Amino acid sequence: MDEVAPALQDLLRRETGGDVAVDRVVALSGGAASLTFAVDTRRDGSAWPLIFQRAGAEEAAVGALAKSVQARLQVRARQAGLPVAAVVAVASPADGLGDGFVMERIEGESLAPRYLRLPDYAAARAAMVGQCATALARLHAIGPGEFADLPLPAASPAAARTAMYELYRGFGVDSPVFDLAFAWLAERLPDEPPAALVHGDFRSGNFIVGREGLRAILDWELAHVGHPMEDVGWLCTNTWRFGAWQRPVGGFGAREAFHDAYVAAGGTLDRELARVFELWGSLRWGVMCLQLAHAHLSGVRPSVELAAIGRRVSETEIDILHILKHGEV
Amino acid sequence: MAGHPDAADLVDAVRGFLVAVESRLSGREAFHAKVAGNVLAIVERELRQQPERVERAALARLLGHDGEPAALRAGLCAALRDGRLDAETPGLLDALTEATLARLAVDNPNFSTFRRLKETPP
Repeated sequence: MDEVAPALQDLLRRETGGDVAVDRVVALSGGAASLTFAVDTRRDGSAWPLIFQRAGAEEAAVGALAKSVQARLQVRARQAGLPVAAVVAVASPADGLGDGFVMERIEGESLAPRYLRLPDYAAARAAMVGQCATALARLHAIGPGEFADLPLPAASPAAARTAMYELYRGFGVDSPVFDLAFAWLAERLPDEPPAALVHGDFRSGNFIVGREGLRAILDWELAHVGHPMEDVGWLCTNTWRFGAWQRPVGGFGAREAFHDAYVAAGGTLDRELARVFELWGSLRWGVMCLQLAHAHLSGVRPSVELAAIGRRVSETEIDILHILKHGEV
Repeated sequence: MAGHPDAADLVDAVRGFLVAVESRLSGREAFHAKVAGNVLAIVERELRQQPERVERAALARLLGHDGEPAALRAGLCAALRDGRLDAETPGLLDALTEATLARLAVDNPNFSTFRRLKETPP
């Protein structure tokens, strides 16, 4: 991907007004909808490690934000005191870089199974309970006036449920457990107008973690205006514990401590609804698995990886059943 | 029959081949070879365990009539969608749990909730 290096160098020189040289561009991940590159640069002679993220060739997931919007959102979140990489430059069409932006590269561990299991990260895991609670409380406290200018999707929990049900039905798959879950949620999700800025994918796997704890929150592309308990429940969904089910908060912490820290940081907690959103989380990931498998089965994106993800549906089904029978998983 | 490989044996043989060549691949190809090996392991377990038999028996008992698994599933979904059945229906959660555990034993027997439920039967 070194062909983007000259365009990136021009963009960075223009935006910073400084002497920036791009030495190397390395593709990090090959998601179809979004591409991420590590960019090694020197600024006034010193190493300046950056990340360039841009939309992929294919259409983004339904509801996913344009990279330019994501960049503006990251700036707001950082201003609100969340650990988020600083945005360095946003590409405009004339730059020839597509819909993309450049941010600072924060060193650390991004592979959840590593920071959830390795003894070296024990202190990080302990610290992350409070750090994640504080980050979410700060995010959810951002006033509507501060994001009204951003084109963000908005939906009440009830409306989001209906939209996801229609997505599920569109695949022509019959999952009795999913239908049971949709009906159960219909009785429990409020229809109050959405008012809070929600990250939408706040979970283990979307963090940069150092030995001391949470360094950065990544992947803002599913951000939307919704209900704060969406984020609180999603972080506790069993899928994102990566096998460490005894630690319900992202595989690293206890639920009570996390909930209490969220309240202590100024968040308004609805414990019951947070639990409802844990079941919602399993259902949401299950429908995402159907969607990914559908991309393979329909011939849009033939891939053994996507076909295999279709068989993760039964994981979400057993989690939903466990919650319905025992109150939690 | 000794010397006559059945479908599961053939799948297992291909899986062994994939493991052998995987070390010579790199990057995305190596990753996809690993995924392909996992997929073949699922196929092999499905051939040997036939989880649809368990699902069919569990759903037939719940609904009071037999049928093809896909038809039983569709009938159950229709009843859940129009509210004739719900989470309070006696036997519903147990039947779905039985069917789902049979599928998970094929899809991912290492999954945490599968192991929990197998280690501590209800």
